[in-house]
Amino acid sequence: MQFDAVEPGVYPELIYPTYKSTVSRGPTQAPLRIRAEAATNTNLFASPKLILPHDMDLTAQGKSAPLGEKIVVTGRVLDEDGKPVRNSLLEVWQCNAAGRYWHKRDQHDAPLDPNFTGFGKMLTDDNGRYRFVTIKPGPYPWGNHHKAWRPAHIHFSMFGNVYAQRLVTQMYFPNDPLFDFDPIFQSVPDVAARERLISRFSLEETVDDKMLGYEFDIVLRGRNATPMGI
Amino acid sequence: MTSKITTSQTIGPFPHEAWRWAVELTAKVDSAAPQITVKGCIFDGNGEAINDAWAETWMPDSAPLESAHAIPGYRRVPSGDDGGFAFQITRSEHAGKGDPVAYVTVFARGLVKHQFTAIFLEDDPALAESAILNQVPAARRETLIARKQADGSYAWNINMQGAAETVFFDYI
Repeated sequence: MQFDAVEPGVYPELIYPTYKSTVSRGPTQAPLRIRAEAATNTNLFASPKLILPHDMDLTAQGKSAPLGEKIVVTGRVLDEDGKPVRNSLLEVWQCNAAGRYWHKRDQHDAPLDPNFTGFGKMLTDDNGRYRFVTIKPGPYPWGNHHKAWRPAHIHFSMFGNVYAQRLVTQMYFPNDPLFDFDPIFQSVPDVAARERLISRFSLEETVDDKMLGYEFDIVLRGRNATPMGI
Repeated sequence: MTSKITTSQTIGPFPHEAWRWAVELTAKVDSAAPQITVKGCIFDGNGEAINDAWAETWMPDSAPLESAHAIPGYRRVPSGDDGGFAFQITRSEHAGKGDPVAYVTVFARGLVKHQFTAIFLEDDPALAESAILNQVPAARRETLIARKQADGSYAWNINMQGAAETVFFDYI
């Protein structure tokens, strides 16, 4: 595949002082644009056997139903030509409805839910579509500054169809009042690029009286994909 | 052309439990081919070890030799309390000369976009002809080259900043 340079402002700023830990962790030199055939034309193969029965239903992993608002999240993973990224591994992880992660270092004074780990994984289908059922995550405080609260979000990790398409990002929910105060969200200078991280409420994806639906399409970098299987 | 790509966000401090499946899946290498180990540490701009970073490898030359794996040619490792990490790499005698033994992706809290880099071995006789290294300014190539140790393993550190800042790539 071919990877055009990303326009300025679309990626977050690697050193963004209001997000404090970027100051010593973000590379200071611009990334070096290089040609590497293997990076842009090969990728790992993830067997469908890796996907376990409840990996796509995060509300079905415990002994009973987790607390909180059950939702369904779906969307398509596309490349820059608009072609579906098929059979591609995608991981998600998130905190529970109370804003607490299943993680030993999370000290937020909110309850864990024994019926909710908050992680899943799946493969995109032939149309590049993914779909999973979960609980709407809560906002939570973090130590970056006084009254620092993260807008509710779900982490996405995508492996694409070629190695160079790898992407980790966060999906947000519409109309979150915390957007203006969150340095992680604000670290993306381009307003349109930032807003593409916000999912869309979808009545079409809403399932009867069971759960509300949210749609989040993802565009990975790369053009001129070689058709699979040739 | 206006790019509509989805931008990146940090993995944050809490992926460990969610990412563990792939750590466990790739920890044990099942291959008859020769193995080497690359060990290193990841440091921030103050020289402090980063204890919540992650590294993944893609090893296209090794993948055909690991057909018993659920994900051949792939590893995922978290950094330890001392910033340390280690990869076991299957060596392919058919590997391209001067190619990296592993393409490496780096993730961390405070790293708003993952970074791509690669590992080359210092005793690769074709290093001088490497198509990739020859695209890197000579003064910075050193940051991509793992050094052989007395115990046979290779040492390779990741420096996010500073005089020895690792070369990070954006692929064309």
